[in-house]
Amino acid sequence: VIRALPVFSTIFAVLYVLAMYFNLALFTYFPRTGGFGPLAASPTTESGVAMYWYGWLLTASLGSAAVAGISLLVPESRSARLWAGWSWLVPAVMVIVLVYLLRGWFLG
Amino acid sequence: VITTLLICHALLAVTLIGALTHQTLGVWWPRKSAQSSFFASFRGVRAGLYANAIVVLFLLTASLGGILYPSYRLGPRVMLENLRLAKANGVFELKEHFVAIGLGLLPAYWYFWKRAPDGRHQETRRVLTLLLAGIAWWGFIVGHILNNIRGFGL
Repeated sequence: VIRALPVFSTIFAVLYVLAMYFNLALFTYFPRTGGFGPLAASPTTESGVAMYWYGWLLTASLGSAAVAGISLLVPESRSARLWAGWSWLVPAVMVIVLVYLLRGWFLG
Repeated sequence: VITTLLICHALLAVTLIGALTHQTLGVWWPRKSAQSSFFASFRGVRAGLYANAIVVLFLLTASLGGILYPSYRLGPRVMLENLRLAKANGVFELKEHFVAIGLGLLPAYWYFWKRAPDGRHQETRRVLTLLLAGIAWWGFIVGHILNNIRGFGL
């Protein structure tokens, strides 16, 4: 199981950015009421602002855990030949993607 | 309660960036045996020993941040929006997402420091450490700027 950890990290970064960009939260938290809603629930006058960050984390965690689990089906002799650098390159690229996606806060 | 948690969050963050900075400088700029200055000693640590502590500290700091986040969302965030401080909001948005990426990096970071065969993957260890250090420093600086933003005369 331990050899799947780098796979988890690599996929997590991608799934988190996708979850954030497409708002694929598995649940929504409403801080004013302390309530929860399923998936990406819209805020209402009653509920107040909605927070999706926790839901995105859960989406990315479950998705990457599933992919990491599937990766264990690949024989260790074959997976050991994969370049280890993917586990930092992909998250590093996702950091740059995040800066690009959020550029609207800093322009204009 | 929120103030106490905020202070604990800050103290954990200080400990985390201390550990990560020692480790990062230790692997990117290792001390040579003849060097004995303060800066050389700062870098001359057994970097691998920091890995478990860094994982625990990152988890604790991020968890406390996650607990405090709703208070920020209902208080300071609204104030920043009312004052039209978009850049201040933006840097916090980046912090939130960078921390999420950092949380996701922890399994690989731990694996390459603690389980990967010695002598291999040194480059991977170095870059993962640098990434986590960058995320921790960004979170620390942004947190403090936002916490004291009125002092910046904005």
